[in-house]
Amino acid sequence: MKVSLKWLNEYVEVPSDLKAFCDRLDLTGTGVEGVEKTGDAFDHIVTAQVVEKKPHPDSDHMWVCKVDVGENNVDAQGNPEPLQIVCGAQNFNEGDHIVTAMIGAVLPGDFTIKKSKLRGVTSCGMNCSERELGLGNDHAGIMILPEDAPVGLPFAEYMKMGDTVLDLEITPNRPDCLSMAGMAREVGAMYRADVTMPLYELEEDASLPSVSDLVTVEIEEAQRCPRYTARVIKDVKIGPSPDWLAERVTAAGARPINNVVDVTNYILFLYGQPLHSFDYDKLVGEDGKAHIIVRAAEEGEKFTTLDGEDRVLTNDMTVIAAPDRAVALAGVMGGLDSEITEESTTVLLEAATFEHGRTSRTSRNLGLISESSMRYERGVDDNPIADYSAAAAALLAEVSGGRVCPGIVDVYPAPTAPISLKFRIPRFCQMMGVDVPRADIVDILERLDCIVSDSDDADILDVIAPTCRPDLEREIDLYEEVLRLWGMDLVQPTLPSSPDRVGALTEAQLLARKINRAVTACGLNETTTYSFTDPADMKKLRMEGEGYGKPVELINPMNAEQSIMRQSIIPGLVHSVSYNQAHGVKNVQLYEIGKVFFAHEGRKQPKEKEKLAGVLAGAMADTSWNAAPAAFDFFDGKGVVESLARELAIPKLRFKALAAEDAPHLQPGRAAEVFSGGTTLGWVGELHPLGVQALEAEPPIVAFELDVEALGKASRPARDYVDVPEFPPVSVDVAFVVNEDVTNERLVQCITSAGGKLLSDVRLFDVYRDDKRVGAGKKSMAYALTYRAADRTLTGEEVEKVQAKLIKKVCGATGAEVRG
Amino acid sequence: MAIVEELKALHADTLAAIEAAADTTALDEVRVRVVGKSGTLTAYLRNMGAIAKEERATVGKAVNQVRNAVEEALEARKKALATAELEASIDAAAVDITLPGRVQQLGTRHLINRVSEEICDVFLGLGYTVATGPEVETDYYNFTALNAPADHPSRSMQDTFYVRDLSGDEAAVRGESDVLLRTQTSGVQVHCMEDQELPIYIVAPGKVFRRDVADPSHLPQFTQIEGLVIDKGITFGDLKGTLDYFCKAVFGSERKTRFRAHYFPFTEPSAEVDVSCGVCHGEGCRMCKGTGWLEILGCGMVDPHVLEMSGIDPEVYSGFAFGVGVERVACLKYNVPDLRLLLQGDMRFLRQF
Repeated sequence: MKVSLKWLNEYVEVPSDLKAFCDRLDLTGTGVEGVEKTGDAFDHIVTAQVVEKKPHPDSDHMWVCKVDVGENNVDAQGNPEPLQIVCGAQNFNEGDHIVTAMIGAVLPGDFTIKKSKLRGVTSCGMNCSERELGLGNDHAGIMILPEDAPVGLPFAEYMKMGDTVLDLEITPNRPDCLSMAGMAREVGAMYRADVTMPLYELEEDASLPSVSDLVTVEIEEAQRCPRYTARVIKDVKIGPSPDWLAERVTAAGARPINNVVDVTNYILFLYGQPLHSFDYDKLVGEDGKAHIIVRAAEEGEKFTTLDGEDRVLTNDMTVIAAPDRAVALAGVMGGLDSEITEESTTVLLEAATFEHGRTSRTSRNLGLISESSMRYERGVDDNPIADYSAAAAALLAEVSGGRVCPGIVDVYPAPTAPISLKFRIPRFCQMMGVDVPRADIVDILERLDCIVSDSDDADILDVIAPTCRPDLEREIDLYEEVLRLWGMDLVQPTLPSSPDRVGALTEAQLLARKINRAVTACGLNETTTYSFTDPADMKKLRMEGEGYGKPVELINPMNAEQSIMRQSIIPGLVHSVSYNQAHGVKNVQLYEIGKVFFAHEGRKQPKEKEKLAGVLAGAMADTSWNAAPAAFDFFDGKGVVESLARELAIPKLRFKALAAEDAPHLQPGRAAEVFSGGTTLGWVGELHPLGVQALEAEPPIVAFELDVEALGKASRPARDYVDVPEFPPVSVDVAFVVNEDVTNERLVQCITSAGGKLLSDVRLFDVYRDDKRVGAGKKSMAYALTYRAADRTLTGEEVEKVQAKLIKKVCGATGAEVRG
Repeated sequence: MAIVEELKALHADTLAAIEAAADTTALDEVRVRVVGKSGTLTAYLRNMGAIAKEERATVGKAVNQVRNAVEEALEARKKALATAELEASIDAAAVDITLPGRVQQLGTRHLINRVSEEICDVFLGLGYTVATGPEVETDYYNFTALNAPADHPSRSMQDTFYVRDLSGDEAAVRGESDVLLRTQTSGVQVHCMEDQELPIYIVAPGKVFRRDVADPSHLPQFTQIEGLVIDKGITFGDLKGTLDYFCKAVFGSERKTRFRAHYFPFTEPSAEVDVSCGVCHGEGCRMCKGTGWLEILGCGMVDPHVLEMSGIDPEVYSGFAFGVGVERVACLKYNVPDLRLLLQGDMRFLRQF
């Protein structure tokens, strides 16, 4: 909402300190989004006087002048000093009052005034003609001002063009502030200053037929249109508005059109009441009367708005109609065929209110947001309509020479009654944590046009809220008014004093923090990807099957690539890998904790499951002078899962090979399901190269996705203490040659069970394949075994005995041979 | 006596050889040659039997003297050589300490989650708990229970993502659905008011979704932290004190806050909170667009109607609520120029934090 301070100042005193005024507006709830000074174009242009005029020594038509610009130019001592200006005009004399553009001024056409030399003589400015100032076409000579014109005044100020227009953000609860009158009332309440509004005396011409003989109004559905009034003004002469009117309309951000339209806009900006002017003659029926019907639009009804656009209406919309056709879209825009034209002589002036919800939907659905619809959408006060209509008619008569028909047609079946409220002063002070004196509370409310009176209880005020403030419906609404206008800044900051609270994280939140710590310690970087995804991505990654269930579909996605909610975090992460690879970053280690979504037939909301997913591509780092990190493979992913399981104290961590048909998205042979005992935690593996390539990333990508809730359930709160060994260990290495299909897990199981109590640790330190030395289809698995007793130092014989038994058992169980 | 003279000469020669030994190996050779099993001095001891009885004591004494002196000299020389050799090896082991160290890569947290956790920790310290709620919400919890009017533009298909409702229920508004991606974390407030015992002191961080095209300053998916306090005797002063503490904890103790009256459907009175600009300290600069203040969050006293809808008596309890945009806080703290960086997973961005 644009507010001209010059205009506002006519109704209430606007403080001269603009910055302080804007701050106060901001703090009381009216956001200042912009400040525009309309006189800015005349910066560095001042009124001046020619004090000396001498011929130019080197020119027969130029003059060297001394021009007094008052305090605008001073010498070293700070005394005013006239400027030397070389001037080519011939229409002036010494002593003339003129307009001078000083250095730094920018004249229309982006012409900047600089210090210059004209035929060897320095010139520090320019004496301006009307045309050079953009004020007219006169360029016969420079502009000569009257003799009484002051010297050294900014030209904008001299011309009274200096205005400041604020662009204000009016919150949706304050429709009253979408008008100059409302802003005047608001500023009056802000500064506790008195407000004076203009009075318009309407003179009706008794010789004309009364309005009720010219117009009938019928409202088909009272809910759509709470009040409709019509007046008629005859003998209107359409023409341009007087300057003052055009200036006001311009300041409010509209374009002057003609005197009739400008008056309706002026009243709109002044009171916030939208008006519509019809060409009465185009509405008159065969009986010589205009019949206005406010009705629902027919579904599919066609209508041409005055912007020339053909519109198709729905029955949700309301139209103003003549018996044969719609003539306006209620509250939004008039119709083309009944608008005021140059030839119009009789105006039918509509002042009405329309239901805000419908007006809002209508303007949004048609993409037609107008000054009117914007106000109706937020609520227009029903009660003062007749007065505003009278003011508009009086102004119309004044600026167009028209005559106003007596009376008004006013259909207002259910007048809006003001609301009575209580204001409990002690409760207000307690709740806000501030003591506001009773007199101040009363004064603030009264300046907002509330009617305040004492009740039987000295602590309670009776308040009647004005109907222009639909937001004042409850006691709390009044509290807000007093608090913001008294000053939120005057409230002392405190902290809640209740002792009944303990700050703590839940187990799930602690788990999430542990996961983040463990996974970042493994070198992975947390990221966030979109929760919506492309349904095609899952297919491309071969992540299909019943396990994924039904996706959650968006009804109005931004685009097809974001049309369902993700069922896995992996596609998003693979896109990030692809993004990095495309930007030359080959080493990618990413993880994300976030929700995935599964819809269920018959259920409103989907199941949301929290997942932890990670991807590894490239290596942990580039080769450096003292380290050569290996390229990521399955075991890096598995290592992250193992470290995480250790950190979360997850017992019985197991990895089971995933068959190709159970995990088509993973590369067969490099895929595992992760368990804690019998509970599935998720999977880890290398993504299938075909899937990775389909998402335009470069394989191999190692990935894992684990269920956070399952991790939490498997996680134990703490690990048990085990005695720190007192006696020295004995280490023995042994290498078993086994068939390829014998897994490490199987060997370790055999070793552990055969080793008995004395075997304290088994560590695989080498896997070796060689067709000649080990044999085709075989591998050598070398383990370091640690024997230790808790209560004594083991002897060589003891260890040899256990080791021999162990080897025998392992070989017997797995077909292994010990490699010599 | 010739033997004694011989010993004297051996003594002198050996000491000279010891002094001349350049390293421990050479020194050891001297030791072996003189006092080793078949060393020259050892030979005198071995052959003691061959010496005349009356001379034995004198010779024996002389041999022992020489042996002690030699061994002392060997020991001293050995120490000196060992020290010199250690010094030499230390000199040789010097490295260019400007070469890079052996670093294990530590992973990084995402900027937004890092900031979000930091904010939650501030409130944990104030005695709050952390609450969460579903990202796919019903219209009731996202709008209705928060006082949003049925026709509010934020409910439109232009602004809110709606989700296909599989329950078979008829949608309240034509073309829309009663199920949506939450546009604010405020819905968690309502769940808490319905489900939790009073008093309530919670913060609720989480993802929210709005139909904005991704550009440098907008994302269709971003992060909010909602705060809610419901207790007896909660005042607007408590709201001010709490958020002032929060802003100082997050942005620095020298920062100031100001409360500007504003409008939100679910709070009354409502305010927006600005924190003083950290670049110009309130003087006005480009960062704060000349105002000296940076808008940081919205807040207010919980509207009594919202309390009533959740079954809380507004005559007995009062409370405040606030909502912080985590991206906003992060951008102000870290000068991130383009919000889209937050969702790209670009390693070069992520590893900066």
